[in-house]
Amino acid sequence: MTLLMPGAEPFYFPGGRTGCLLIHGFTGTPREMLFLGRHLAGEGHTVLGVRLFAHATRQEDMLRARWRDWLASSEDGYHLLADACDRVVVIGLSMGGILALLLAAQIPVAGVVSLSTPYDNPDPRMRLRPVAPLLTLFWRFGRKGPPDWHDPSVAADHLEYPLAPVRGAVELHDILAELRLRLAEVTCPALIVHSHGDLSVAPWHAEAIAARIGSADKRVVWVTDSGHVVTRDAERERVFAEVAAFVRRVGAAAA
Amino acid sequence: MTWIVPGGEPFLLPGGDTGCLVLHGFTASPQEVRQLGEHLAARGHTVLGPRLCAHAVSPKDMLRSRWTDWLASALDGYHLLRGACNRVVALGMSLGGVLAFHLAASREVAGVVAMSTPFAAPRDPRLRLLRLVSPLVRFVPKGPPDWRDPSAGAGRVAYRVYPVPALAEVEKAILAMRGRLRRVACPVFLMHSLEDVFVPPENMEAIFAALPEGDKQMLPIRHSNHVITLDSSRRQVFDAAAEFVARVTR
Repeated sequence: MTLLMPGAEPFYFPGGRTGCLLIHGFTGTPREMLFLGRHLAGEGHTVLGVRLFAHATRQEDMLRARWRDWLASSEDGYHLLADACDRVVVIGLSMGGILALLLAAQIPVAGVVSLSTPYDNPDPRMRLRPVAPLLTLFWRFGRKGPPDWHDPSVAADHLEYPLAPVRGAVELHDILAELRLRLAEVTCPALIVHSHGDLSVAPWHAEAIAARIGSADKRVVWVTDSGHVVTRDAERERVFAEVAAFVRRVGAAAA
Repeated sequence: MTWIVPGGEPFLLPGGDTGCLVLHGFTASPQEVRQLGEHLAARGHTVLGPRLCAHAVSPKDMLRSRWTDWLASALDGYHLLRGACNRVVALGMSLGGVLAFHLAASREVAGVVAMSTPFAAPRDPRLRLLRLVSPLVRFVPKGPPDWRDPSAGAGRVAYRVYPVPALAEVEKAILAMRGRLRRVACPVFLMHSLEDVFVPPENMEAIFAALPEGDKQMLPIRHSNHVITLDSSRRQVFDAAAEFVARVTR
């Protein structure tokens, strides 16, 4: 029985007193965070990578998903890690970054890392939001944008849904509204990572998050040789090192 | 503000090489099996109590649930535990027991403890009627509590209503379980209260009979309602579960 996509299961690596919560992106799977997770576990941290509701199963499940389900999945991971550790750093890719920031606005965390995370949804079709519940009854899936891998070898074993569920895109639109409402309430140390080569979320989103986040301790790190999935693409080792350095610093400060 | 109802959070109790996955029942929360988990953790095991999807949030969220969402939550817990443990025992209360059998049929588990687990959907004629009107009636209130130990209900985190479409999903989970019981190859331990009026104890015997020949045991419990992990015989349940876990992981 393959209810969960093989290779895309959530993961847990026990380690030290600092916990790293890893949250994947929209239509993605825990696998896109696995390699960063292994790197952080290698640094001696406890690591937990959640599976967001309706992800890594069947893409039809996404038609029933609402953004509060994804927040609850992230919160599950936080509670599990908080039981095993003294402090938690929340790290998310793309929509996972939105969820990480929303958690950081609500729960005392030692730090937050948003990777390739959007601030707004500039899609003009979102003017149809008021009729979305009707529209999505028959318009169920849309095409995704073109792939932007700089290291095409990674694409071969990358796991995600092939299509973009329209209802899910509406939820993404709504959770972004929530993010903009809450961003000023995030006051923990923050690291924002974004690639200039990101074709699905333009670099200005990172600047907007950095400008509006409530944190005094904040930093934007730019990468260039990478597409949207900075945790797997060509410049991943640099991303891993930057995130690890941030976790080490805020973990020690919170100790 | 958080989304999960306070007290209904999932839990992880770090420990040794043996992992205990403790699964709560329908419309309940990890709180229902937390004491059991603490008892197992005190014996040196690693314990993880996942929150089944759409539980301990809002009953409205469960209107969208499919039973496979709940199984996926159980599988998540299994895979997280496997990161810390060499072997996993799956323990489940009611629907959690159904999920534990599903898990045992598809993943490597060292044993299953199924508590108050149904083999047939509750025979309440109201439920059949409800199916017909479910587009109109979304929720049905639960009956009055029947604790033997009145303090057992303290701190309980559970919905006070049944989301009607989810009742049909529970039935699907049970029917799918029946088809898989033959493939459960690990040791199985069944516990059920003789005074369970919600899921009568005959269900335990039916599961026992449907399991293949092998290492399987039944323990009838007295002085308890359906929720044997919380009501007055809970200590007996915890000890018996811990003994089984120790035996199958020795």
